[in-house]
Amino acid sequence: MTERTAPIRVLIAKPGLDGHDRGAKVLARGLRDEGFEVIYTGIRRTTEAIIAAAIEEDVDVVGCSILSGAHATLLPKVVAGLREAGAADVLVVAGGIIPEEDRVGLEAAGISAIFGPGSTIAEIAMYLRANVRRP
Amino acid sequence: MSDAPSPRGAALRSARELAQAISSVERGGAGADALIQEALAQLATATGPAARVIGVTGPPGAGKSTLVGALADRAREEGRRVAILAVDPSSAVSGGALLGDRVRVEERPDDDGRFMRSIATRGSGRSLSHAAAAASLLIEAAGFDLLFIETVGAGQADLGIVRLADLVLLVEGPEGGDEVQAMKAGLLESADLVVVNKGDRPGADRAVERLRSGLALGADAPEVLLTSATEGSGVTELLRALDAAALRRGRGGRVRRVAAHLAAAVEARAAERLRAAEADGRLEALARGITDGLRPLSGAVDELLQG
Ligand code: B12
Ligand SMILES: Nc1nc2c(ncn2[C@@H]2O[C@H](COP(=O)(O)OP(=O)(O)OP(=O)(O)O)[C@@H](O)[C@H]2O)c(=O)[nH]1
Ligand SMILES: [Mg+2]
Repeated sequence: MTERTAPIRVLIAKPGLDGHDRGAKVLARGLRDEGFEVIYTGIRRTTEAIIAAAIEEDVDVVGCSILSGAHATLLPKVVAGLREAGAADVLVVAGGIIPEEDRVGLEAAGISAIFGPGSTIAEIAMYLRANVRRP
Repeated sequence: MSDAPSPRGAALRSARELAQAISSVERGGAGADALIQEALAQLATATGPAARVIGVTGPPGAGKSTLVGALADRAREEGRRVAILAVDPSSAVSGGALLGDRVRVEERPDDDGRFMRSIATRGSGRSLSHAAAAASLLIEAAGFDLLFIETVGAGQADLGIVRLADLVLLVEGPEGGDEVQAMKAGLLESADLVVVNKGDRPGADRAVERLRSGLALGADAPEVLLTSATEGSGVTELLRALDAAALRRGRGGRVRRVAAHLAAAVEARAAERLRAAEADGRLEALARGITDGLRPLSGAVDELLQG
């Protein structure tokens, strides 16, 4: 793999009816300061809108922040929609309030990693740099 | 990989192709040149009028994104294919960027007559990305009739967007247009049309008056309109005025965008050479030599530009 010269592009999305945006904003600013190009789309987005935005923005990563409890229905839809768009090479990660017992199912559905409360920006940035799938 | 794509999947795939092409011109290099060339070849055989490119500039928070979203909705109702390119600044420290203009623009995921892309200024250090002109050509070749380019609200003259756009719209808030500001010109000087947004807020009428009287002093003064992007008032009138002004100007076209691309590429190259000379100490060595009288000043700039 050749060394990447352009910044990694990350979409930070808030799917569904979830107004908790503090974590998403902390993350958006934190990743910018780590050298990422972060596209923030605001709260209460449908999964269709998130997928379309991810495509138009040609991001390397879609990061969903979800504290509403609706992760099990919404997150797999994001992964499936990206696949339908021919964008299976986009890394999908999530964070927020996601109970331990739901993680395995989400990972099986194609969510690469889940970062709960207390995760540091540095560890998230490190994970993304190591795992983006596109040169 | 999935097999036969659904209609929705097919629309997403063609958006993805354009999106990836834009990323490629952001990176630059030979691949980017080939894509631009290909777009131009395609456009050369296209029938119909050239796309209209409208630059949107103005102070931070004036409502540029919200207004562009409203204009895009209106233009879509008329059946025009609309794209938005929104530029936000890259951090000089980290190289990262927070691109937040999408928050203000209603997402319409089922509408493939719309396309929105956020780009960072990256190395340009200006209110426009070096890739904006090239991206505009790719977007035009993808069949969009109308392109809005939102620049970083720098509050200063903004040559890049004047070069590139057929028309420059300056968006002011209800506090805009105090006399000194109007005289400092800069942005006002290069605007083809001025709009005071947030017309639902007190004081907006007075801002319109201030701007009109300030601008009346100059020849060829641009029109000043009033909108409320959130309430939707004045948006149809603004779109009409933009169309009329574009026809009046008649300065648009592809040659202009290609020229803007070349200009941006020259600036990018110069900036890159300068960064390299700074990084490997050549700049300082030259400066030292000149300071100590060991070499002449003349010729030094050319030496740096040659890399
Ligand atoms: C602050 C808060 C609010 C604020 C939100 C303010 C705002 N604008 O964000 C207010 C008061 C408005 C609020 C309202 C509600 N809340 Co509330 N709220 C919280 C609280 C106390 C803290 C959340 C927070 O901001 N944390 C700080 C940020 C920085 O942390 P974070 O979001 O977890 O993000 C970190 C990680 O998770 C991760 N991360 C997050 N997103 C992402 C994304 C990616 C891609 C990655 C990689 C990482 C990542 O990185 C961040 C840094 O470590 C939590 C409890 C808790 N301890 O989490 C409840 C909590 C989330 N709320 C809850 C509920 C139920 C509600 C309400 C429905 C009503 C209520 N009972 O209060 C409303 C609904 C609001 C709405 N419209 O959706 C529940 C959710 C239950 C569930 N999911 O099963 C919680 C868990 C409280 C509880 N134990 O019951 N809430
Ligand atoms: N009251 C009122 N608020 C508006 C109007 N238009 C935009 N806003 C609000 O003004 C704020 C900034 O709007 P944006 O559209 O993000 O402004 P911008 O000029 O694009 O901002 P930058 O891209 O950050 O420079 C948001 O809170 C909008 O909701 C309007 O017509 N009336
Ligand atoms: Mg904006």
